[in-house]
Amino acid sequence: MTTASLPFRLLATLVVLLAAALVASQLWDYYMDAPWTRDGRVRADVVDLAPDVSGPVVQVFVHDNQVVHEGDKLFQIDPARFTLAVQQAQAAVDRTRAAMQQAKSDAARYAAVSNNAASGLSRDQASATAQEAEAEYNLALANLGVAELNQRRSTVYASVNGVITNFSMRPGDYVTAGKPVLAIVDSDSFYVDAYLEETKMRGISPGDAAKITLMQGGPAITGHVSGIAAGIADVERTPTSATLLADVNPTFTWVRLAARIPVRVELDHVPDGVKLVAGMTCTVSITPRDTGNGQAAQ
Amino acid sequence: MIGEIDLFGVYLPPLLVWALIAQALGIGVRRLMAAAGLYRYVWHRPLFDFSVLIILTGLVSLAMNRLF
Repeated sequence: MTTASLPFRLLATLVVLLAAALVASQLWDYYMDAPWTRDGRVRADVVDLAPDVSGPVVQVFVHDNQVVHEGDKLFQIDPARFTLAVQQAQAAVDRTRAAMQQAKSDAARYAAVSNNAASGLSRDQASATAQEAEAEYNLALANLGVAELNQRRSTVYASVNGVITNFSMRPGDYVTAGKPVLAIVDSDSFYVDAYLEETKMRGISPGDAAKITLMQGGPAITGHVSGIAAGIADVERTPTSATLLADVNPTFTWVRLAARIPVRVELDHVPDGVKLVAGMTCTVSITPRDTGNGQAAQ
Repeated sequence: MIGEIDLFGVYLPPLLVWALIAQALGIGVRRLMAAAGLYRYVWHRPLFDFSVLIILTGLVSLAMNRLF
């Protein structure tokens, strides 16, 4: 077996080496620069539902993990106090109405009699008293409206379609106005946040197609980029320092970690049987529309 | 295919798996070349084998991207 001449052998080897270098650079571009991340999270908007009035809960109509629709009754705050408040306000309305009628008829009489029988002063006084009584009456009406509103608000309704989560209310619990007692995960609002490395952000723009694979496996979910976050917190800098001067972390010069930028992906089609839970981990792969990154391997 | 390959809970980068497949193919290619005496035309055998391995990895990756 004879060997070929050295120049030929050199050339043949170098050609193959060159081809390998080209392939390697393509592979690097494809696998390292392609806009994909394993750090995706399924997210949903969560309503922190708080009652508008305070009071003890007398009845709970829902349970944990129950699917609710907008307008469903959730729980009932003891309405007795609010019913009494309505009665009080109603009584005040009746009282001020009587006073107003009295004051108005007085004012009308003063206005009707001759100048000899009533002075201008007392006429003005009667007119002012009538106006005051009317204002009192309107005030009482408004108070009645507030009392009725409180009575209505003692029943708490669902504000969105969704699933009640982490809920453990029992009758007898005291709820306070404005303090959230119940979380509803809005089932119409599921989306995915892909935390893409900043090095992979080039070429991504809203509208690009995205493929989402849940960590649990199963068929892929399709979606599209709807927006890119405009800012993230600077982890290298402590926001407040005791000396009022900037407190910047010393980092390694040659080892740098790419920051993760949230890219919001709206879901276009969720295959049947895929159950989304806010907080799930997923892999997101984005295909930029323009040529270049992530389109073809070779 | 971009993403990961789930091996009983351990997630492997696809490129690693493609490289392993290419390594297996490379053994066959080396045997064939040795049997056919093609190494006569090669100047530096380990360098040549390494290059072939990278090209095979690229081909496997291309084939897998078509398949998945």
